[in-house]
Amino acid sequence: MTALVLDIVTTAAILFAVASGLLIILGVLKIVNFAHGGFLTIGGYSGLVVTQLGLNAWLAYPAAVVAGIVMGAVVERFVIRPLYDRPLDAILATWGLGIIIGQLITIVFGREIQFVQTPITGATSVFGETYSLYRLFLILAAAAVAGGIAALLNATRLGLEARAVIMNEPLARGLGINSGHVRFVTFCIGAGLASLAGALITPLSSVDPNMGVPWLVNAFMLVLVSSVSLASLAIAALTLGGAQVLVSTFISPVIGGLTIVVLAALLLRIRPAGFGHG
Amino acid sequence: MSPTVLDIADLSSGYGEAIVLRNVSLSIRPGEIFALLGKNGMGKSTLLKTVLGFLPAKRGRIKLFGEDVTALPTHLIARKAIAYTPQEQTLFQDLTVEDNLRLGLRDDRGFAEGLARVSEYFPIVGKRLSQKAGTLSGGEQKMLIVSRALLGSPRLMMIDEISEGLQPSMIQRLTEILLAERKRTGTAIFVVEQNVPFAFSMADRYAVLKIGEIADDGVAGDELAAARVQDQLRV
Repeated sequence: MTALVLDIVTTAAILFAVASGLLIILGVLKIVNFAHGGFLTIGGYSGLVVTQLGLNAWLAYPAAVVAGIVMGAVVERFVIRPLYDRPLDAILATWGLGIIIGQLITIVFGREIQFVQTPITGATSVFGETYSLYRLFLILAAAAVAGGIAALLNATRLGLEARAVIMNEPLARGLGINSGHVRFVTFCIGAGLASLAGALITPLSSVDPNMGVPWLVNAFMLVLVSSVSLASLAIAALTLGGAQVLVSTFISPVIGGLTIVVLAALLLRIRPAGFGHG
Repeated sequence: MSPTVLDIADLSSGYGEAIVLRNVSLSIRPGEIFALLGKNGMGKSTLLKTVLGFLPAKRGRIKLFGEDVTALPTHLIARKAIAYTPQEQTLFQDLTVEDNLRLGLRDDRGFAEGLARVSEYFPIVGKRLSQKAGTLSGGEQKMLIVSRALLGSPRLMMIDEISEGLQPSMIQRLTEILLAERKRTGTAIFVVEQNVPFAFSMADRYAVLKIGEIADDGVAGDELAAARVQDQLRV
């Protein structure tokens, strides 16, 4: 029972970390970044590069964040920014970009599955149950991501301006806020978060050029039911992620993989605002 | 000091292919209160939106403090010591009163001093800092809008139909505050209104906009002018 609860909490933490970057980009830029899976893959391969260079495994995380931010800056400037007035085209462009990122990674690193070193190994006893230390670390990591985003949004001028742009961009511009700058910084942060999430999840599985795709689908559904709210995203990750763990454990891992998508679709059918206030 | 705060010359503007403003010219001097009057749909708000860069000028030129801003993006125009209060969607409803006020400044410097000053005008604003703006009453929201505009001691205030829906006592209070602020800082005020008595109670000069063109203008102190403008707005 303890292991099951911990599986639910750690799965929710991973899902939250993966979806948070997508959420803030949707909130500020009003576009779904389908290149999110690509940025996540970049983070995974940042961890691989750190492993191959024989560096300290903890360096995978700052390396992933830097790689994500740099890539996000380039993409925002040259792909997203010219398409702000054409949101549908921007979404399609991010979709294509995700494919391009996957192909470029294939060219550089090959198609095969590879493994990265983990900074934390071993297990510990939690209420008498032996549990992976790394999975427990992911709970702290997700909490740190949530705390960092909340602090950025609520305790900084940039966060205040970002919230203003989310709520009413014309009014924000009328008050002198450079919404273009806010979008740029937000996209960079979102890409950095996606890449960090990629580096966080790779020690649990492996890296391959398409590793971001299944995560993108689940993150997309979680964001859809979260109404651009971090708190709602946390609830969605815990609820739907928990359901995924339960279905995978007691019914079938294959069906478990579909749980978030199916439940999110049902939830949106019943309550269009999902876990948000509407 | 620049001879004019706002100088609009031969301005035409509109939405897409539709022309709403035609060859409008007007200027506002430092410390002057200028009232632009007209019925709904005559182009008053369109003029303000064009000055702020929300709408592109199809023809003509706009100068602020002597600088041509016709092609500047909105946020750069707004940073030129301008306070703009649009007619609709004027507050961030889900942000607190304090956050809404902070957004009236370019950064947080001077916030405490500014807050103390606007709280003298509107004590309720200072007492409701943690309340969400959307939960304030209509009159309180107007106080917050004006407070946000005054916070940064702008050189030009552009106020779009602020009196709409306000009680006469509140309109009177608002008039006193705007006149006091003009006296304190020397700010120019560009008031867009349908409420002729309110506009004429503080304006130095006026213009009437009719189907996108200036149909009448003059000195606001003239009582005959007030009656004439009132008639024009009734027709």
